[in-house]
Amino acid sequence: MLSLRVGRWAVALTALFLSPVFSQERLELCAACHGPGGNSVNPQIPSIAGQPKLFIENQLILFREELRKSEQMLPVVKGLKDPEIIKLAEHFSKLPAKGMEAGPANAALMKTGLERAKALRCGICHLADYRGQNQIPRLAGQREAYLEAEMRAYRDGKRTGGDTIMAAALYGVGDADLRALAHYLSRSSVERVSPGKVSKP
Amino acid sequence: MNKLVALAVAAAFAAPALSQDKPKPPPAWHQGKPAAMAESKLAPHAGKMTETPTGDIPVSKLKLPAGFKAELWASGMPGGRAMAVSDDGKKVYLGTRVIGRVYEVTDAGDKRTVRVVVDKLTQPSGVAFNKGSLYVFAIDKVLRFDGIAANPNAQPQDLTAKFDLPKEQHHNWKYVAFGPDGKLYVPFGAPCNICEPPSKEYAQIRRYNADGSGKEVIATGVRNSVGFDWHPKTKELWFTDHGRDWAGDKGFEDELNRVTKVGLNFGFPYCHANGQPDPDVKKAKACEGVTRPALLMGPHAAAMGIKWYTGKMFPAEYQNTAFVVRKGSWNREKPFGFDVINVRVGEDGKATSRPFATGWQEGGEGYKFWGRPAYVAQMPDGALLVSDEQTGAIYRISYQKPKAAAKKQ
Repeated sequence: MLSLRVGRWAVALTALFLSPVFSQERLELCAACHGPGGNSVNPQIPSIAGQPKLFIENQLILFREELRKSEQMLPVVKGLKDPEIIKLAEHFSKLPAKGMEAGPANAALMKTGLERAKALRCGICHLADYRGQNQIPRLAGQREAYLEAEMRAYRDGKRTGGDTIMAAALYGVGDADLRALAHYLSRSSVERVSPGKVSKP
Repeated sequence: MNKLVALAVAAAFAAPALSQDKPKPPPAWHQGKPAAMAESKLAPHAGKMTETPTGDIPVSKLKLPAGFKAELWASGMPGGRAMAVSDDGKKVYLGTRVIGRVYEVTDAGDKRTVRVVVDKLTQPSGVAFNKGSLYVFAIDKVLRFDGIAANPNAQPQDLTAKFDLPKEQHHNWKYVAFGPDGKLYVPFGAPCNICEPPSKEYAQIRRYNADGSGKEVIATGVRNSVGFDWHPKTKELWFTDHGRDWAGDKGFEDELNRVTKVGLNFGFPYCHANGQPDPDVKKAKACEGVTRPALLMGPHAAAMGIKWYTGKMFPAEYQNTAFVVRKGSWNREKPFGFDVINVRVGEDGKATSRPFATGWQEGGEGYKFWGRPAYVAQMPDGALLVSDEQTGAIYRISYQKPKAAAKKQ
C-alpha cells in the first residue's frame, strides 16, 4: 500500500512540476487522488466536485499557508497563486457531484445518523439537503470514511486553522455518533443537489 | 474566514440530549442565542482569503464630504486590517486574522509594494510600531522585529512568555498600540458572546512596558475591544467595544468608551450600552458602578479602529476629532455600519458623531456590501488611510479645498 502510494505520488509530482498551473495536467493531478471529475474513488479522500467555490478556495489557501496541515496537499498547492486557486475552485465547483458509497445502507446507522444530524442542526449551516454554501462544504454524498475522520479531527482539536466552530459543534459527540453521522450524510442524495440542477441557495 | 458559522451549535442547548454527551464548553459567539432565534440564518459574513484584483475594488463608490477624495492606495493583502505606521511613515504594517500573515507596505511615493513579513501565525491581528521595532501579536504569540523598516531580513525576538496570554482563543485576537506613556496596551476579550468569563484574565484591557514587564489591568468589563487611541489634548484612552449578539436588531449597541482613570469597570457581562442589564447573565444592581459609554456606536455596528486626527491636511474643524470605523453588522436583519464616522467632543464634554465615509454597503435592506472598512491610520502628510478587510486594500483619503470655497476667500 505504501509503495503504491509513493509510486503514485512520484508520478503526480513529476506531472506537477512539468505542467503549467491550470492545465489538463493540473486537473489530472487533482483527479489522480480526488477521482475522475472530482468524485473520489478512494474512501479516505474527499470528493471535491460540486463543492462551494469559496469553500474550495479557502481550503486551498489554508493548505498553501500550512494552516491546514496535509503532507499530501502541501506539495500540490505550494506556490499556487491566488488567481490559479480561484480558477481551480471555480472549475471543481461546477462539476456534477456523485454519491460514491456503493455499500448497502445500514438501517440502524441511517436512523441514528438522521437523528444526530437533526439534533446537531447540521442543516442550518450546511443547508437542509447538506449541499453546503459559501465557505461551508457539501456533506451530501461525501466519502463516508473521510467524513468520519474529519469530524473526529475537528472534535479532537486536530483540524484547526479555519475556525473553531466545527470543533464546538462536535464537542463531546461520541465515536459511535460520528460513525452514524458519516454513514447517513455520505448516503444523502447528492444528485438532487448537483450544480446546474438546483438553483443557488 | 472570521465567519465559519455554525448555527448548529445552538442545538447543543435546544436539542434532545445526545448519547455520550460531555458538559458543553462555551460555544463562543453562539452563546446566549434565545430559543426564539434558534432557526435564525444570521451568521458572520464569509471573509475572503484570495487577492482581490484592483478592478474589483470600486473605490469610486465611496462617498465623502465635499473636498475629500478617496483613492486606492495599496491592495493585494487578503484579510489586512489593523495598521501600524513606521516612524518615518514610509512603511505600513498590517495584521490579519485567519490567513495568518503580517504584511508590509512600502510607500515609494507614486506607488506601493507589498510583502509578507511573517506568516503561519494564529490570527496575528495586533501590530504596533515603536522606536524602530515592529510588535506582532497573534492569539498565542508575541514577536518583536527590531529595525525591520531598514532590514527586511530582521529576525523576530519571541516575547510570548512575558505577556501572560490566556488560553481561550475566541475574542482574543488583538489590537495593540503604544500609549503616550510609552506603555503597550493590549485587550483581552471575553471568550464567548455572553458569559461570566471563565477566569479573571478576560474581558479587560492591560498595559505593559514594551518588554512585557509591569503588567497592569487598566479597565475591566470590556467585552471585545479591537480599537483604541489617545485624545491628543487630554491624553485619555478612548476605546471601541463590541456589544453582545443574539439580542435582536436593536442591540445591544456597540460602545465608544473614555478611560478617565485606571480601574474603571465598563459593565460586561452584566450591563451593556447605556445601562441596560443583560437578560441572560444577571445580578442585582447590574449597572451600579459601571462607567457609561462616551457615545453609542449603533447596534451590531462592529466599531473597530479609531484615530484622533492631528494632521494639517484636513479642514481645521477636524482637528482633535476622531475617525471611527464601523466594519458593519452581521447579527442583524438589516445592515448597519459599513462606514467611517467622525466623532467630536463639544465644549460641554459630550461626544457626538456625523457620517464621514460611506458607500461600502449598497442599498438599504439586504447585505450587498463590496467591502468592509476596518481601521484608520494617519500619515505624515495628514492624509487618512482606511483598511478594508474584505478586499485586502487600503484607501487613502485626502483633502483639497473645493474651488468654490477657495474663491470666496
